[in-house]
Amino acid sequence: MPIGFFAVGLGASDFSSASAILSMLGRLAGVAGLALLLLAAALSARVPGVDLPFGGLTKLWRTHHLLGAGSLLLLLVHPLLLAFAASAWGQGLAFETLFPPLSDRATWAGWLALLLMMTFLAPSFAFFGAPNYERWKRVHALAGPAVIFALLHTFLFSRTMLGPTDTIIWSLFALLGVGAVGWRLVFSRRIGRLPYTVTRVDLVADGVAELSLRADETPLTYSAGNFVYLTPFDPGLAAGHREEHPYTLSSSPLEPELRIAIKALGDASRAIQTIPVGTSVTVEGPYGCFFPPDSKAKTPELWVAGGVGITPFLARMRHLQALGERGDIHLIYAVQDEGRAVYAEELRQLAAEIPGFALTFHYFFQEGPMTATFLGTACLDIARREVYICGPLALNQLIRDHVYRAGVSAERIHSEEFELL
Amino acid sequence: MKKVVFAAFVGFWSSIATIATLHAMGPAEAPPATARDGVSNATETTGYTLEQVAEHGTLDDCWMAIDGVVYDFTTYVPNHPTPAFVLEQWCGKEATEGMRTKGYGRDHSPTAWGMLEGYGVGPVRDQNEGD
Repeated sequence: MPIGFFAVGLGASDFSSASAILSMLGRLAGVAGLALLLLAAALSARVPGVDLPFGGLTKLWRTHHLLGAGSLLLLLVHPLLLAFAASAWGQGLAFETLFPPLSDRATWAGWLALLLMMTFLAPSFAFFGAPNYERWKRVHALAGPAVIFALLHTFLFSRTMLGPTDTIIWSLFALLGVGAVGWRLVFSRRIGRLPYTVTRVDLVADGVAELSLRADETPLTYSAGNFVYLTPFDPGLAAGHREEHPYTLSSSPLEPELRIAIKALGDASRAIQTIPVGTSVTVEGPYGCFFPPDSKAKTPELWVAGGVGITPFLARMRHLQALGERGDIHLIYAVQDEGRAVYAEELRQLAAEIPGFALTFHYFFQEGPMTATFLGTACLDIARREVYICGPLALNQLIRDHVYRAGVSAERIHSEEFELL
Repeated sequence: MKKVVFAAFVGFWSSIATIATLHAMGPAEAPPATARDGVSNATETTGYTLEQVAEHGTLDDCWMAIDGVVYDFTTYVPNHPTPAFVLEQWCGKEATEGMRTKGYGRDHSPTAWGMLEGYGVGPVRDQNEGD
């Protein structure tokens, strides 16, 4: 939309010389970059349900990430193109375009916004090595001031589009972004987060705990395989007090309590393994749409889980069993070795209880990466199945390739990655 | 994606450093050669009234009066670093305010003021003065 209005303001003179074209492209890069930045901001609201048209929150985060990358690339090019355009009138003017007197608040607001963007996006794109989650999150909060200075820059210049459209369009976009941040900071804390209390902590395996939570007030409405953001309130925790982290629900929606399986992958998820019973937590969600909404297996399905990626499948099996449903489902559970097959006993038991369910284990240390032959031998009729994959990125890609070659079309392959970025 | 963004980040600072280095090392720039020609033209003419300036009020024929001097910016319009519509509203008018404020309270740079001279066509003449 801003690009459309920008184009309306263009005339023949914007294309009359190399310098005019550079200047026009520089302004265009600024307009497009700011639009992408504000769209990325709007997507960060994480309003439950809004992720569904994007194919779930993980895919929405991917869109957000791409918008952020596109915005940074365009906004890096924006001042350079304007400086190059000005250099047609002398080198001094190129320098002056970039570094005007301090009284030029519009330009310096733009610089501040760009420097803040580079700072808060540096960890997202691992400029200086992979950051830990908490540091990334703290630095990412600079996105707020960056957006404010970027808008200030544009409003002070107010020359991207004809007449009042400039103010109107950017105000609309600004409202979207501010609304999203407002939701996160104010409303999601008050109405989006449901209070729960920890009633049980089961150590399922070394480094994997399953928390049972009882609703203090309204319980969460969710589907099997959804995930939530969990915030524990316990100053005694070694890490993660008052910090929200995403975890998959492992319970059936029919159960009276929520269950969340947590693998110790970082400081906070390690600390929460020993959270005391009785601790207050909040739960925000549900997010994700890995499985179709009604959770009933109408078509034959193939599930492939890698490691802790078993959680959404476990939730669905528990739900099928609770419903007394049958399903033509084949689950292949890939783990490093038998000792790391968390929930193995319960999975075997559930597989035996759900009519039509088949379960195969794959041990990486014995068999190496899963081959197409292994997959084809374990499940003879892959081509007629809807495929669901949840595990590390490498496994997702591998299985996606195998089943695609076995005749499953791309739209019948569904996957969810734990890596959010 | 990470590599592309990082490459752009490095490229950006390299370009900024290049522009800054060239600026620091380059000689102080004299106003463009055409400027002096412009000044001489301006002094030779008897001047124009604001009504005459108003006859040149389009982007294809854009005159402005700034600080008592009439300028013909027709050839410069495509090179001005804003969309053309920003300049268009000043074509054919007394545009000192536009030059002094850029529309948001910021004066043009000394270099920009220096460039004006290249486009001068004569002084602003009072309506009552004879031809």
